[in-house]
Amino acid sequence: MSKQYELDDSSVVVVIGSGAGGGTLANELAQKGIDVICLEAGSRLTLADVVNDPPTMDAKMGWHDKRIGNMVWVCKTVGGTTMRWSGVTPRIQEHEFRALSTYGQLDDSTALIDWPLTLDELLPYYEKAEDKMGVSGTGNIPPSAETNNYKVMAAGAKRVGYKKVSSARMAINPVARAGRPGCQQIGFCHTGCAIGAKWSTLYTEIPAAELTGHFELRANTMAVRINHNKKGKATGVVYADADGTLHEQKARAVAVAGNVVETSRILLNSSSSRFPGGLANSSDQVGRNYMRHMFSAALAVMPKPVNFHRGARQTGVIYDEQYHKPERGFAGGYDIEAISADPWNTSAWVGGWGPDNSVFPQNYTHVAGVFSTGEDPPQASNRITLHPTERDTHGLPVPVIEYRDHANSIAMRNHSVEMSRRIFESLGATDFWGGDAPVGCHNMGVARMSANPDDGVTNRWGQTHDIDNLFISDGSTFSTSGAANPTLTIVALAIRQADHIAERMTQKTL
Amino acid sequence: MNDKQTTRRRFLVAALTFSGVASGSLGISFLRSSAAWAAATDDADNLAVMGRLAQLLFPHDGLADSVYGEVIGEVLATTAADPATDGLLAVAEEALDAAQDQAWIDLPESEQLEAMIALQNEAFFAGIRETVRFHLYYHPGLWQHIGYPGSSKEHGGYKFRGFDDIDWLPETE
Repeated sequence: MSKQYELDDSSVVVVIGSGAGGGTLANELAQKGIDVICLEAGSRLTLADVVNDPPTMDAKMGWHDKRIGNMVWVCKTVGGTTMRWSGVTPRIQEHEFRALSTYGQLDDSTALIDWPLTLDELLPYYEKAEDKMGVSGTGNIPPSAETNNYKVMAAGAKRVGYKKVSSARMAINPVARAGRPGCQQIGFCHTGCAIGAKWSTLYTEIPAAELTGHFELRANTMAVRINHNKKGKATGVVYADADGTLHEQKARAVAVAGNVVETSRILLNSSSSRFPGGLANSSDQVGRNYMRHMFSAALAVMPKPVNFHRGARQTGVIYDEQYHKPERGFAGGYDIEAISADPWNTSAWVGGWGPDNSVFPQNYTHVAGVFSTGEDPPQASNRITLHPTERDTHGLPVPVIEYRDHANSIAMRNHSVEMSRRIFESLGATDFWGGDAPVGCHNMGVARMSANPDDGVTNRWGQTHDIDNLFISDGSTFSTSGAANPTLTIVALAIRQADHIAERMTQKTL
Repeated sequence: MNDKQTTRRRFLVAALTFSGVASGSLGISFLRSSAAWAAATDDADNLAVMGRLAQLLFPHDGLADSVYGEVIGEVLATTAADPATDGLLAVAEEALDAAQDQAWIDLPESEQLEAMIALQNEAFFAGIRETVRFHLYYHPGLWQHIGYPGSSKEHGGYKFRGFDDIDWLPETE
């Protein structure tokens, strides 16, 4: 059952955010008997709140606070963006952990580093994460069922000579498991799974943590500032409750998992005379090296019906382009993933207007789709800052998000669009569109792990270089992006971080 | 404005941001008061202009004019209710007419399209384009026309209703 802790209880770990990173870390700590309070800005939905209507669900769970600059497509709700994700769970590859060593520094504006950990070290945690999330095709879990859209992608992939195509590695139950049902192929994965077949912390980690008696969820609480003492240790988190009243929750340690924008904002907003540039920011790296993957999307009108709206939104991956093959004209690689879209998305991705656009929704039943996600080299100038004067409804400085594609990403995107074209045209597609899809749902960097404290914000455990009881627990810690969709790695890192925090507590060094 | 309209408007604002239209890119000089536009929209001619504009933005052969008409009704309600887009349609109409020195609605289709192309990089044009796109492609009449059934959870999804029924692909083994 859920605990209730006093505000002045300084024995608790405060976790900010209840998504893939925060929800997982909180539950893992609670399972070890460590007392945790999880602060979540959004409200707690139930499966009964989930309807198959994207605008309605966006209103219920999207993040709508004022932001300036590039759009970031994340959620403010218990479960965070695990409510919206599509469940694709590849691992980061061995060479991608050594991005600088593998690719070399691409140019003066690039800030590549190697991760301060290896795939070998993370492997046991990837396995734990896959078991926790129920990733299809791992352990004794069957691969995901092949939807019509997946079958089109796979058939085209074979025709263009690709070999590594799979409907596995989806965190959507193919069959009932761990108290959650098997997928009913409803679609609308990105507006919340109506039956809980897709993994989300809302109905896995959070209730599991509550059962331990070592966990309290405080929904509808907006963390605004992290306090510290004269020794430079984090001492508590100031948050606004649903009425806007401020409280300070004392803490033994603080873990921040607000997705990149909120994670940057709370660190930068917690500046003090001791830390004038913000918490954990002696390196001036907080908010920098914001990565969001090379993205492209492609849609094609096929000669016969596909009905790609039927079934899970994403159902498989082509891995043949994931390797580092510089002869393609760019560093790193990308994955091609089957994806569907509703009529509005179909039109909006293509963009523009006129018959070149409407031919896609007009032939909706015949449309197939893929999207590609690939390595995005870090750039210090891609960053999240605080607006000097604009304030939001909480009185917080409005975040400013600056993101520009790296030249490497543009070359990779062109390649991925060309390969997507070949896949669909090999099967007789009559119309094709491919291009940029600036959706901002894969968010990484801004508090990256680095061996050298000058190069990043956190060490190999996600512990900040400057403040040893302050941790970062979301995609913000990624040293580089790799090609893989980030959630599996976020969860694996959170499980690993929980082990580290527990060990440090046992050693009485935290 | 009911709850459904409110949620749809919020989603639209996100969509406009996504497409780079919102976030202050609309110059204040394009905007007019909602009162002026509300008066103007009583005019059937204005509705005809906007309906024609929607048809040319996103043409669908065989789609009933009434669907475009209903979409324009929703577009008007949305734009008038949001300071970021209020007055866009009046501006568009004026600009379209000015582009060819006569009433745009009376021009042949090729010249109507020319006027639209000449204005397509203007911020107000993108604002209208995205607003129409949103309301058209979430309209049940459009869905019916293109064969999109919408919500599926109440039907048990597609597990037993054809999620894997494709039968025309070449053998992949």
